[in-house]
Amino acid sequence: MNNLLRAETYKLKRNKTFWVLLITMIGLSSFLHYLIVSDWWFMSGTPFDQAGLSELNALSVFMTPLYFNFVVSTLAGYYISVEFSQTRVIKNQIISGNKRSHIFMSKYILFSLAAYIVTVFIPVLTALLMVLFIKDGTVITSKSLTYLFSSYGIFTIGFFCFTALVFIIAILTEDSGKTILFTFLISVVMFIIDLLATKPWIQAFYEHTFYFHFKAAFQHRLATGEIWTLIVIGFGSLLLMLLLGMYMFNKKEIKS
Amino acid sequence: MSEYILQTKQLQKKYQTNMALDQVNITIKKGDIYGLIGQNGAGKTTLLRLITGLAFPTSGSISLFGKTYQHVHVEAQKRMGAVIEQPALFPHMSAYENLEVQRLQKGIPGKACIDKTLELVGLADVGNKKTKNFSLGMKQRLGLAIALLSDPELLVLDEPTNGLDPMAIVEMRELIKKLSREKGVTVIISSHILSELHQLATKFGFIHQGKLLQELSTKELNDQCRQHLRIKVDQPEKGATILEKELFTTDFEVMADGSLKLYHYLDDVRTVSGTLTKHGLIIEHLSLDGDSLENYFTKLIGGVENE
Repeated sequence: MNNLLRAETYKLKRNKTFWVLLITMIGLSSFLHYLIVSDWWFMSGTPFDQAGLSELNALSVFMTPLYFNFVVSTLAGYYISVEFSQTRVIKNQIISGNKRSHIFMSKYILFSLAAYIVTVFIPVLTALLMVLFIKDGTVITSKSLTYLFSSYGIFTIGFFCFTALVFIIAILTEDSGKTILFTFLISVVMFIIDLLATKPWIQAFYEHTFYFHFKAAFQHRLATGEIWTLIVIGFGSLLLMLLLGMYMFNKKEIKS
Repeated sequence: MSEYILQTKQLQKKYQTNMALDQVNITIKKGDIYGLIGQNGAGKTTLLRLITGLAFPTSGSISLFGKTYQHVHVEAQKRMGAVIEQPALFPHMSAYENLEVQRLQKGIPGKACIDKTLELVGLADVGNKKTKNFSLGMKQRLGLAIALLSDPELLVLDEPTNGLDPMAIVEMRELIKKLSREKGVTVIISSHILSELHQLATKFGFIHQGKLLQELSTKELNDQCRQHLRIKVDQPEKGATILEKELFTTDFEVMADGSLKLYHYLDDVRTVSGTLTKHGLIIEHLSLDGDSLENYFTKLIGGVENE
């Protein structure tokens, strides 16, 4: 497994899509955060506003499903799917004498970490740096850090569920374009469910999926019971998807 | 332990209604260069995909290195290298980087093996050139390098000379022979270029429409293809004695059906027939037989299609 993780890291470091996304996100998040901290752009009603962290308002842009849907599926398409279709290098990996479950997990771990760095870590890091170096950094208190830590904790669980789903789609479709399209379609369906959740059972269904994490994570007042429910649903969904994905990957016949 | 490195038993692969492989039994001994011959779509690649574990058999089993599997196990995969269809390469990486990925995922200690393998396949001088800018021949050689990186005991090559120029084909053939001779690597190689395999393989498997029609050693194949006079007489034993005593030749065989295969006097049929009849033998059949490999294969699959 360690060998595979090293191989995946080596490949990721040479993946052009990863670097393009990383640099784009550094530029975009720096720009948006700068607009906020320099008072060029006013946002209100964001979860950060309600938590007294209005200087971090631009972060709300980076929490919208459409945004990370685009980033994560693009990375999945050009880091995972491409190995099954265009280059077919997955053949070498399958024949390399490693268990398929290990291959699956090593790919998932590196892909998820890369997606997390680009989608979540960079916007948060640039926000904190902007606040510290351009503003006086007074909003960074132990209370605000606790809020950010717990909110991003729940968000992260949901995020890794999302990367697991996209990862499975990428392996099944074996095509960059289809990966992006199907991920987008699922997110649209979940958005519609959330929007039209007038019936209690639809609402209950939605709240028991990891998509709800993205909405609930930053609510300022979450009861301890709600937090635990989100944690259990998150880890349960993650485990279920990884087991299902591993099963499908074990049964998958690799085209030559 | 079995004398065979690879053995398949009743191997079958079905895709919905299409039987891609049907009851295939092949046997490969250590050090063999096994040539798998068949037309496009005959089932060669399917068989190699099952052997390497890229796909799974519908039924039957595969024995590799003395152990029998329904699905090829990782322990067997560790001891093999393979190029199935076109070589699988990262186009944005150099040859060295492609081999480094393989080295890491195979867990091979030290980087010395990379330079050594690049040298072996004649790609030591390509530097940092990206593989997307490689010629087809260079890609094939790099694919082979990836397969050879971990010093495999079994090398599985699917049409490795596809797209190569004549010079590169000769180089590839010499390299495979060298690996077999010097390192004792067992090779299974598929091709539809029969003359190419004829110069390389020590054993042949003819596959057609998913069925293994015949397995032959080089000697058996050469005997089948060698030009000869096929003679059928009423007294085969007496016929053999006459050939020895009167025509002074031992270059003939008595076949199971009683016919004689004479590899001598090919352009002097009259002498042969005259001598035999002079000694009172009745000639029931006399013909010049023997094929090129292509003709032999064509007859073989033609025979199956006519059945």
